[in-house]
Amino acid sequence: MSFKSAVITFPGSNCDRDAITYLRDLTNNDVLNIWHDETFIPSVDLIILPGGFSFGDYLRSGAMASKSNIIPEVIKHANSGKFLLGICNGFQILSEIGLLKGALIQNNKLKFLGKDCFVKKKHENKFNKLIKKDQVLQIPVAHNEGNFYCSNDDLNYLNDEELIAFEYCMGSFSNSDANINGSINNIAGITNEGKNVLGMMPHPERAYQNFHTSMDGKSIIESLIS
Amino acid sequence: MNKELILQHGLTLDEFQIIEDCLKRDLTMEELGIFSAMWNEHCCYKTSKKWLKKLPTKNDIVIQGPGENAGIIDLEDNDGIAFKIESHNHPSYIEPFNGSATGVGGILRDIFTMGARPIATLDSIRFGEIKTDKTKYLLNGVVHGIGHYGNCIGIPNIGGECEFDKTYDYNNLVNAMAIGHVKKNAIFYSKPKTVGGLIVYIGSKTGKDGIHGASMASDVFSEDDEDDKRPSVQVGDPFMEKLLMEGCLELMSSGLIESMQDMGAAGITSSSVEMASKGNVGVLINLDKIPLRQPLTPYEILLSESQERMLAVIEKGNDEKVREILKKWQIDFEVIGEITNTKRVVFESQNKKIVDLPVNIIVDDAPEYDREFYLPKKRNKRKFDLSNLTLEKMISNLLNNLNHLEKSWVYNQYDSTVMGDTVKEPGQATGIVKLHDSQKVIGASTDCNPLYIRINPELGMIYTVAEAYRNLIASNIKPMAITNNLNFASPLDPNIMGEIVLSVNGLKISASQLDTPIVSGNVSLYNQTNDAPINPTPVIGMVGSNSNINKIVSNKFQSEGDIIISIGENIDPHKSPYFLQDQEIVEDINLYNELENINLEDEKITAKILMEISDNNLLQSCNDISRGGIFMTLMKMIQKNYGFNIKASNDFELFCEYKSGYVTTIKENNLKKVFALLDENKINYEEIGRVVIEEIKINSKNIDYFDIKDQYLNNFERIIN
Amino acid sequence: MRIKILIRLKKQILEPQGKVIEQSLNNLGFEGLRNIRQGKLIELDLPENINQEEKDNIISSACKKLLVNEIIEEYEVLG
Repeated sequence: MSFKSAVITFPGSNCDRDAITYLRDLTNNDVLNIWHDETFIPSVDLIILPGGFSFGDYLRSGAMASKSNIIPEVIKHANSGKFLLGICNGFQILSEIGLLKGALIQNNKLKFLGKDCFVKKKHENKFNKLIKKDQVLQIPVAHNEGNFYCSNDDLNYLNDEELIAFEYCMGSFSNSDANINGSINNIAGITNEGKNVLGMMPHPERAYQNFHTSMDGKSIIESLIS
Repeated sequence: MNKELILQHGLTLDEFQIIEDCLKRDLTMEELGIFSAMWNEHCCYKTSKKWLKKLPTKNDIVIQGPGENAGIIDLEDNDGIAFKIESHNHPSYIEPFNGSATGVGGILRDIFTMGARPIATLDSIRFGEIKTDKTKYLLNGVVHGIGHYGNCIGIPNIGGECEFDKTYDYNNLVNAMAIGHVKKNAIFYSKPKTVGGLIVYIGSKTGKDGIHGASMASDVFSEDDEDDKRPSVQVGDPFMEKLLMEGCLELMSSGLIESMQDMGAAGITSSSVEMASKGNVGVLINLDKIPLRQPLTPYEILLSESQERMLAVIEKGNDEKVREILKKWQIDFEVIGEITNTKRVVFESQNKKIVDLPVNIIVDDAPEYDREFYLPKKRNKRKFDLSNLTLEKMISNLLNNLNHLEKSWVYNQYDSTVMGDTVKEPGQATGIVKLHDSQKVIGASTDCNPLYIRINPELGMIYTVAEAYRNLIASNIKPMAITNNLNFASPLDPNIMGEIVLSVNGLKISASQLDTPIVSGNVSLYNQTNDAPINPTPVIGMVGSNSNINKIVSNKFQSEGDIIISIGENIDPHKSPYFLQDQEIVEDINLYNELENINLEDEKITAKILMEISDNNLLQSCNDISRGGIFMTLMKMIQKNYGFNIKASNDFELFCEYKSGYVTTIKENNLKKVFALLDENKINYEEIGRVVIEEIKINSKNIDYFDIKDQYLNNFERIIN
Repeated sequence: MRIKILIRLKKQILEPQGKVIEQSLNNLGFEGLRNIRQGKLIELDLPENINQEEKDNIISSACKKLLVNEIIEEYEVLG
């Protein structure tokens, strides 16, 4: 079974090549690279909206990218039940599109945060099913606006429908706070109601090769193709 | 053209006379502006050229030495590595955020203008004493600015330095280094190939940014000047530069570009003059064609330092194809002139010649000075009273000194893993990235020991180069070449000029012996305010490689029970300058003893054997010994819950500096083989202890592991707030 | 016609920048300045020859579609 995937590149995306390499290595298949201005995406199993600073993060992170010409195709792909993964800036874009609840605002310490963080699975979905309960994953974050915010109603909804894919937690040998950026309820990643769209702040594509500080990022793609 | 005007433009009356004599006519204002920019220190190296010419710049692995936008070394298999370091000191003092951000922008352009995709950055930043609000403001601004620019473009920061010393109280330093990967058969130079080729402008519209920035780089500040200089700082747009970088790289791989030059200091002036000079051709440019943000006079256009702009030469007829590619990346593009065979630099506006100068007067006839210099005075031998230094006191002095503390407060504001190929992040001996889709890795480090260089510029420089060398060897990276940033005060003071001459000589000696030629670099002079010069701070950026990522050695403890071995010779505490300074024994610079001599042959042999030991997988970890001695090296090697249990014949030995010093950890059952190799090559070493869990023991004395670790990891943030 | 649109985070959202600014002003001796919040200002030129209703429509459309994220922000047209 050949797992097909595509990565969308926006002006200012800088983790697109990383996502392409990640998918190529773990699905053993070529990966399509689609420019934000195109209006058609061939049928694929997974689309990744990569990290970076699309449109410079100007106005709001992901705001202008969410209005790109390619977006209707992305929405169509998501609505048909196929997989859509937004990493970091990609998560911000998915929130701006409205495919995911809430919004990402500035880190509570007001500084860019570039370091390894620790997350664990909260609610299960096809992206994290191979991860064990209470298993701690070590994955880098690199963001200015990673602070997840949503209304109380939305938070209840996310919990009731079991849409919280990942939450920040403590890591071994580390005594820094579990919550690294002020996110409500330590939320690091959520899905939509159909659980086929995942947005997450950490970068799994930077944690899958044997020279990376951890290979915990493999589990996401492995879960999808299993 | 009166005396005032000439001096305001940073030229001496003598220099002006040379120009007038050559031209045999009056200069236009615009021409005066051109000389003001091209003949100042930053662009023509008039003070340092004589000495820089003596540096070793060639060997088998050098593809491109100094003289282009970046140096390039050969990694075999069609892989080249381009790299350079550059300063943005004065702008960072005036406006730290934008000053440092645009420094990063400038150095990245120097890399991709050669067809190399940037793959890593390092930053060497220096500030005054932290207790002033001004220093806190500068620290926050500089780190924020570097992060802002580098993170947005998406190039990982893999290392650097951050030093605090009162010598930088009024002159903070920001040196930005960048490394890029280029295919050897696709390197782009600034030399145009065909007469009749079109000169094209690519990138942001031109505004009033930085007018006279290149002259500002050479001006000495007086404290009242700040507000006057404020409008001249350039504001960068990293998003624009990301688009520019992608657009240019795509253009260069399309075969449509003949040559490329970035518009940095002195903007369109320096880039077009450089092109003409390199290609031995002339340039004819119509200033009316230049895309403008706001109305500008020809003078302003010529000197503007607006960011994110490139100059390129393309074959006639290719302009539409080029426009198409750049349109996708939303980049402005304009044909503004052509390459001529006149060997003259001609700028026109409104159909009139505004500037018409022979290229060679601007470049070849630029002044070169042989400034007077003094050698440092001989030092008396001294012994100091170390009786108050207990083990606890010595540890405490280091852990309350920003220079020794873990600096994640700084580098967590940088993205170190974007591009997915980072092997070693900041905070280790070497920053390392892998070449994409390859097993080859590149390692780099930036180093400087200003105190040593102040004591003895030539020998101090040799120590600095040796330390940079060791920082790479510690990770099993073979050192290959150097980029250097010479930061000094005013060369008009013969004492300072002596520091320049002698440290460049020290660089020559060490780079020759260690076979690490200098392939690029930058000079920043006049770093002083009123009468307070900075300590001599020639920063070395050392770059090397290993063809196999699996042979890289860690700089941190790997397992409990590993034996800790120190290598090298310790230096007597009375002769260890940083020990004496950091333990608050000596403050007056005149009281330090002479530096001990070091033997670079020993350095080379130790390095060779360590690499052999590493290649045979006998080394668990390795780190170099420098400021702070063995103790600080051991602290840097702690990760997870590892600690150390060590013995030394006296406590001072753990805090003094070393010659060719390393701390290594080795599995117990490999000791025999390792000792055999070290003995065979007469390398000095000592077994000092073991890696343990959650413990720090020195000469059987228990030091509170959790407290010390917490101080080391968190005191930096505590102190700066 | 030059329009000014003030965009702010909604009141219930914690706005750390305002707190830091308050702290800094405090340190400079301005003790009585409280409840500081930071927003952003978008200025733009509208075509001259449109009526009030068209003007309101364009502005609210632009805000809804791009300028304002109504999950976390609110806006006010100034002047």
